[in-house]
Amino acid sequence: MVNSSITRREFIGATAAAGAGLMLAPGAKVFGQTKSANGKLNVALIGFGAEGRVLMESLLVIPGIQVVAIVDIWPYARTYGQRYLKAMGHEVKAYENYQDLLAGEKDLQAVVVATPDFWHAPITNACLKAGLHVYCEKMMSNTIEGARSMVQTMRQTGKLLQIGHQRRSNPRYIFALNHVIHGGKLCGRLTAVNGQWNRAVSEDLGWPKHSEMTPAQLAKYGYKDMHQFRNWRWYKGMGGGPLSDLGAHQIDVFNWWLGRPAESVMAGGGLDYYKPPQFAKRDWYDNAMVIYEYPMPLGVVRAFYQVQTTTSAGGGYYEYFMGDDGALKMSEDPRITALYREARAPSWDEWVRKNYIRAAAAPPAPADAEKVDVRETAQLAKYDMNVSFNEYIHQPHLENFFNAIRGQAKLTCPGDEAFRSEYVIHKANEAIPAQKRIAITSQEVEA
Amino acid sequence: MNDIHIFNLYAMATHFEARIAGEEKTYAAQTAQAAFALADDLESRLSRFRANSDIARIARLMPGEQARVSEPAFACLETAKKMEMATRGAFSVCASALQSQAAPPQWTLLKEQFSVRCDSGKLEMDLGAIGKGFALDRMAEALREWSCPAFLLVAGGSSVLAGDAPAGTAGWSCGLGDDQSPVHYWLKNCSLSGSGLAVKGRHIFDPRTGKPARRENRAWALTDTAAESDALSTACMVLDEAEISEVIAVEKTWLVFLEDNGTARHLGRRALPARA
Repeated sequence: MVNSSITRREFIGATAAAGAGLMLAPGAKVFGQTKSANGKLNVALIGFGAEGRVLMESLLVIPGIQVVAIVDIWPYARTYGQRYLKAMGHEVKAYENYQDLLAGEKDLQAVVVATPDFWHAPITNACLKAGLHVYCEKMMSNTIEGARSMVQTMRQTGKLLQIGHQRRSNPRYIFALNHVIHGGKLCGRLTAVNGQWNRAVSEDLGWPKHSEMTPAQLAKYGYKDMHQFRNWRWYKGMGGGPLSDLGAHQIDVFNWWLGRPAESVMAGGGLDYYKPPQFAKRDWYDNAMVIYEYPMPLGVVRAFYQVQTTTSAGGGYYEYFMGDDGALKMSEDPRITALYREARAPSWDEWVRKNYIRAAAAPPAPADAEKVDVRETAQLAKYDMNVSFNEYIHQPHLENFFNAIRGQAKLTCPGDEAFRSEYVIHKANEAIPAQKRIAITSQEVEA
Repeated sequence: MNDIHIFNLYAMATHFEARIAGEEKTYAAQTAQAAFALADDLESRLSRFRANSDIARIARLMPGEQARVSEPAFACLETAKKMEMATRGAFSVCASALQSQAAPPQWTLLKEQFSVRCDSGKLEMDLGAIGKGFALDRMAEALREWSCPAFLLVAGGSSVLAGDAPAGTAGWSCGLGDDQSPVHYWLKNCSLSGSGLAVKGRHIFDPRTGKPARRENRAWALTDTAAESDALSTACMVLDEAEISEVIAVEKTWLVFLEDNGTARHLGRRALPARA
């Protein structure tokens, strides 16, 4: 449910407009056989780790969706998942791997993939080829080649591939893009973007003593030990480190909102903090600062992104779009979101009257034109966007996926669109050791 | 003397602390981290300040509407409902709603659908007086799951949940009241929560009247679970002594302490823990 001040028609219009620049893959079809025998979409969740559990909460509240199976190589996670779902009134089958799922489930329409990154491409490709629609978490893959193969399989099979950049379906983000950035042009000419997601230090992820997998089980799925299995995000060949774990979401917003991928990247960073003997050896950078350049019609926009390991008091996670008339600090967390109007900007009263924004803290109007009180510099006028939604954070993106399967929507983040962001994120990780500006052509970002 | 490892987290506007005994330090730290991750997750579901939490979603329901919620949110609200009935309305997650609504909002839990239905009013729930305790209960489950049964969990200094005693001890020494309290008990496998006005002022409202709590002095509740002790100690701030006696008479696992001239009198059938 969207905030009542914006009509449902306006919201649907906004969603369609946002999706207008995104196309279904050539050859993609919405097949008639999009329902199970019971009229619902039968779905399996592959990967019941932390992200999988978050997605499951949304799956359970979306009408017309039947979760029929979960998949995880870790018996502990499978048992937990079945027990949790049973408590919620759902009896589901549990499989060790996707091959067993595909062999065992004959009335499945879609899978949601939330495994470690290096398994995304093999699983997604196999499921698409098996005739299933796939929602796959970001990153698409730990390699550019893996991500490219997913897009190619999507095109070959004609099945839908949605990538889990959930902000693309978030009504607040869609509203901000359509009405603040584009419609009202409230920020004026965009000149800079600043995004961040900094975190406090944390321990390596452990596991309950009795839950350890055998070396043979681990090796079967590419892990050398339990530590690597639990902390795969930090290892090359498995994940992409914090820049891809956290940055991927936000760098994708840079590309989405600016309407194109970056044309260059330079970056600094390193594995500075998580070192032996206090921590087990890791591969990926725990600190990174990245600068992308976007050539825009009115001039270049530089976008800075940082993900640091030091403190949770760094101001939260957001994407800050700055222009000569205003600045929008956008975040999944509405408490962090803020919109500021420059004193030089044209009046925003029209947009307040339309109920798109509301004044949060306006500077006091002068009481007497012949007098002035001299004090501290006044704050910029601050506004809020008048939109919210009454769902879990990941729910609209999953709903968009399922609606697309039913032929009722276009995907907001199909594989080929997501690949453009995927590519420039991989390039940021390359730019750190390269210690130089890397140019990105418009051809190479296409899958 | 046992090695006791202490870990901290700030969540739910509260400082959480996990003390783990009888375990190697790195494993204890990873265990505490898993428990803290649960607390973070619960905050995302139970906080009224998180726009997409279950509690925020419930607050937007109109009368007659219902919303499916997560398992933890449903379980917490089930306990809240039970405590509301057990305390005869002296505890309610909608206690503060009377500050903005003429009548207390009404709601129903629909077990089959794992949903909450708004029956009347606006469901402005504040789980402040039970959510932290509920989080401690769930964190304790995680610690036991990780084979760390000897623990003490603390939420904001006002609720503790004790697991097994550290080896060779009678329990965890927990005091009633300020630091250096003269009254300490050995606690194990139980929870103690305190309520009062000294720290946050008159922040407790009587859900039955909307008026501030009558009790001036502190009250503590000792129960098996932290969600219950958290809710019961809050209810004791608005109940008079006779009402408290009636409420706890039906539950033999409940014990209440009332601050009285610098000491704490106890009420209830549960046996007093050993003095530390």
